[in-house]
Formats: sequence, C-alpha cells, structure tokens
Amino acid sequence: MRALVSAFVVLGTVLVVPSALAEDAPTEENAPAQAGETPSEERAAQFVGVTGPDAESVPGGALMLAAYAIVWVLLFLFLVRMRRLQSQTAEELERLSAEIRASEGR
Amino acid sequence: MLASPTMSRRRQSGSATVWSLVLFVTLALFAVTLYLIFVVAPVEKQMGIVQKIFYFHVPSAYAMYIGFGASAVGSAVYLIKRDPKWDALGVAGAEVGTLFCVIVLLTGPLWARKAWGVWWTWDPRLTTTLLAGMIFAAYLALRSMGNAGEVEKRFASGLALFGLIDLPLIHYSVQRWRGVHPTVITGKGGGLESEMYWALSLSFLAFTGLAALLIWARASAERQREETARLRFELMHQ
Repeated sequence: MRALVSAFVVLGTVLVVPSALAEDAPTEENAPAQAGETPSEERAAQFVGVTGPDAESVPGGALMLAAYAIVWVLLFLFLVRMRRLQSQTAEELERLSAEIRASEGR
Repeated sequence: MLASPTMSRRRQSGSATVWSLVLFVTLALFAVTLYLIFVVAPVEKQMGIVQKIFYFHVPSAYAMYIGFGASAVGSAVYLIKRDPKWDALGVAGAEVGTLFCVIVLLTGPLWARKAWGVWWTWDPRLTTTLLAGMIFAAYLALRSMGNAGEVEKRFASGLALFGLIDLPLIHYSVQRWRGVHPTVITGKGGGLESEMYWALSLSFLAFTGLAALLIWARASAERQREETARLRFELMHQ
C-alpha cells in the first residue's frame, strides 16, 4: 500500500512540476509582462466622457449632511445617557434616604 | 479639612454660574460658527461642498485630545493621591474623548469617500486615531463592569496613561510618516482663505467649550454616583 502511495506521489510530481515550471519560466514573448507591464491589448485604448447627469457620482452634499447629522445625533445620545445616569443616581439617593429614615425610626 | 455647608453651597452656586456662562458662550459660538461655515466661508474649489465637513471634523479631533488628555491627567493624579474626584475626571475625560473620537472616525470617511475615493485607508493618522479610540474604549469597558474596585480603577488609570502616548503620535504622524492625510493646518500648511480660517478658529473655540462642559458635567455625575455607592456600602456594613 505504501509503495502504491509512493508511486502516485512520484508520478504526480513528475507530471505536475514540469508544467508548473513551464508556466513560470520567462519566455521571449511574455518577458515584458513578467516585468510588471500589461500587454497592449489589455490596456485602455480610449477615454470616453460621461454624457448626462452622471458626471459626479459621489454626492458631496449628502455626505456633508450625513457628517453634520452624525455629530448632532451622537452629542444628543451622549446627553441622554448622562441624563439617565443622573436619574439613576437620584433614585438611588432617594432609596438610601428612605432606608436611613426607616432605620432611624426603628 | 471638610468645608462648612455654607462654604460648600457658595462654591456650588459659583460653579453653577460659571457653568451657565460657559454654556451660554458655547451656544453663541456654535451659532456664529454655523453661520460662518454655511453662509460666509466659500465652497472649496476642488472638493466642493463636502470640504465643509472639515470645520467640525478637525475641532472634533481637537476635542478628542482634550478629553483623552483630561483622562490621562485625572488618572495620573488619582494614582498619586487616590482621591476619587480625580478618578471621576479620568472617567469623564475618557467618555468625552471617545465620543469625539467616534465623531472623527465617522465624519472622516464621509469626507474621504469624496476626496480619496475610499471610505478608509490605513494612513498613519487614521490608524493611530483608531488605536487611541480602541485604548480608551478598553478603559471604558473595564470601568463599566459593575462597580469598579480599587484594582480596576488603578489598572484603568494605567491604561489611560498608555493611551496618552498615542496622542503625540496622532498629531505628528502627518509630519513624520508618509500618508495621504491633508496637512492644511499643520506643519507647513496654512492654505486657508480668511473666511475659512475664521470659521475654523471659532469652531475650535466652540468645541473647546463643548468638551469642557461635557467633561465637567460627566465628572460631576460620576462623583455623585461614586458618593452614592459609598453611602450604600456604608449602610450595608454598619
């Protein structure tokens, strides 16, 4: 069984390695591409101007409104949180006062 | 030495007057700033109207420095004196700093989408700002686990001091390292028209007042919460 697996591994290596090497090996035709250049047929051959209202795709006004809205909403949420924290403290103080009064009355 | 009730009441009344005054000035400054931003300051030539985010984004970053700085100062003094009022300042500064850090990290990408074509990039200033936000978020997470004990408070104070190291990194990252973040008002910057300059300057003042008010109010609330917790503890163990 081990001999069979070894045979498969050797056969696979013999078959795969040459093809992998052949793909990586620089040839005269694809040598410039290996140097980081794109073949001429893959590059943009022309620039076409946008016609119609799509000239500006990123809406600056909406982004600005969103930014200012975020600032006010976050500040408001922070104030709400502080208000809730103070209410909890006031309730706790009320409870403590009641406990003290009750313990003094005993 | 304990202050007499009359002195304490007089001090509280004085604090309330100063607080109201700062609040009034801050609100007035915000009103004037918004007028300058949207009516007086011109629309930027290349970026268009989205550049107006800059007038709240940059002062928010400055308010973030104030918050995190206050947190670090409060934490440092707390570690030395063990006085709860300094710990309250540490908590208040961390919360307010994190609030403004979130504002910076949300408004920045809205500008970047238009200016750079992406919502986010791992620019040194963006990365160090995110890091500061994460450090102080960790501080707040640590403090939010029930009633923090002495060990948690000291550990959180150390974390705030560690976060302080990141603040100069944020500020000087645009000068020291390569990045894409604009340097309009830092280093060799100064490319602002006079109307833009006034809008930004008043915005800085308004955000300073806002940060001071929020830290003040939050620290006061934290002191009251701590005092209540102490009273509850004493009642339970008497």
